[in-house]
Amino acid sequence: MNELTVLMHLLSKRVNVSQIGSTQEEILNALNVKDKNRAIYFQNIIRNLSNYLELLGLEIRFNPLNSYWYISFDPETTELLSSNPFEGNPRLAATLFSTLISCFTSSGETTIQKVKEIRKKKGVLEDLKELKHMGFVNLERNLNKVSLTPLVGYLVDLEKLFLKIALKLKD
Amino acid sequence: MEINDFSEELNKKIECIKTKVLSGEISLLDIELASIFENLKDSLNIYNINNYSITYKSAFQLLSQKFEELKIFLSYLDNKDKFLAFLKTNPKDTEIFQLFEDCWRNPFTIDVLSLKFLKYSTDRLATKKEEPLVFKPIDKMEIKENFLLELPSERFTEKMLAFYEKIKNRLPCLYDEIYEDEHDQLRVFENFVFLLHLLQLGKIKYQKETNFLYL
Repeated sequence: MNELTVLMHLLSKRVNVSQIGSTQEEILNALNVKDKNRAIYFQNIIRNLSNYLELLGLEIRFNPLNSYWYISFDPETTELLSSNPFEGNPRLAATLFSTLISCFTSSGETTIQKVKEIRKKKGVLEDLKELKHMGFVNLERNLNKVSLTPLVGYLVDLEKLFLKIALKLKD
Repeated sequence: MEINDFSEELNKKIECIKTKVLSGEISLLDIELASIFENLKDSLNIYNINNYSITYKSAFQLLSQKFEELKIFLSYLDNKDKFLAFLKTNPKDTEIFQLFEDCWRNPFTIDVLSLKFLKYSTDRLATKKEEPLVFKPIDKMEIKENFLLELPSERFTEKMLAFYEKIKNRLPCLYDEIYEDEHDQLRVFENFVFLLHLLQLGKIKYQKETNFLYL
C-alpha cells in the first residue's frame, strides 16, 4: 500500500448522504505527515494523484461548503452520465438558485421569507421541502431558517456557476 | 540534434489573440495561455533562445494583461449584491436552469475501497506464488496378456473357512478378542467381512447384550 492508495480511499469514501471524501487535515494525518511544509506536501500529492486520475476521466475537487476534498468525474464524462438532477424541472433549479444566492449574500444561512421575496413565485415552501427531500437544503420551519447542505458543493461547480452569472451580468 | 523553432508560429498566435481582444471579440479571461508557455519551455534550446526571448516577452505581456482583467473581474465578483440584482430582473426559470448547465458534477465514490480491503488485496498480491504443478507420466504397469484383472490366488469361501477353523476353538469369546492378534488393518477388515458372512450362514452366533461370539 502506498500514498496514492490511501489517498484514493480517503477521497472516494462516502461519509454520509451529504459528505464525500476527506479534509486536508484528515488526509495529512492518515499519511502521518508532520513536516513543517505540510501544505506544500499536500498540494504535491494531490497534483500527482490528479495526473493519474486525469487519464481515467476523473479529477480531484474541493467542496467550499465543507472544505472536503473529493474525486469527481471530469466535465466531459459527467455530461455523458447526465448528472442534472433537475432535468425537466427548471422550477426546482430556480428555487435552489434563489436559495443559493440568498445564502451567499447572508453569510451561509437565510430565511424562508427571504427566499420567497427574491424568488417571487408561489409554492416556494413546497419547493424547499422537495429540495430538502433531495438532500440539497436544511430546512427548519419553526425557526424559519434555510441553509445549504454540503451536497450542493459536491454536485454543483459553484465557482463556474458564479463565473457564468458574473459574465452574464457583465454582458 | 533536431532544431525546433516555433517562435514565428507562437508570435502569430499571440498577435491574433491581441487583435481579437482589442476588437472586443473575446476576453482574455476566456483564453488559455498555458499552452504558449509550455510550448516555449519544451522546445527551448541554445539555437532558438534569441527568438524565444522576444516571443516570451510578448507572451508575458499578454499574461500581465490577463492578470489585470482577472483583478477587475474578482472585484466585480466580490460585490454580492450583483447576484441579487440578477434575480431582481425576474429571470425565467428556464434561464436560471440554463445557468446550471455544464456546472453539474458527478462525485466518484467507491465504498468497497476500504483500507481493510486494500490491505487484504496487498497481502494477497504480495504472497509468494507456489511452484506450478508439474505433471509426470506414470510408470506403465506390466499386465498379463490374458487378464485385465488379477484374481486372488485363493477363493473367498476357502479363505473364510480357513478363518473359521482358526477361531472356532477360541469361542465363546468377546467380539473384540477375535481381532486381538491382528495389527494389519487390511487383514482386520478382511476378517470382519468373513465374520459377517459366518454370522449370516449361522456357523457363528452373536449375543448383543454380552458382546459375545459363540458356536
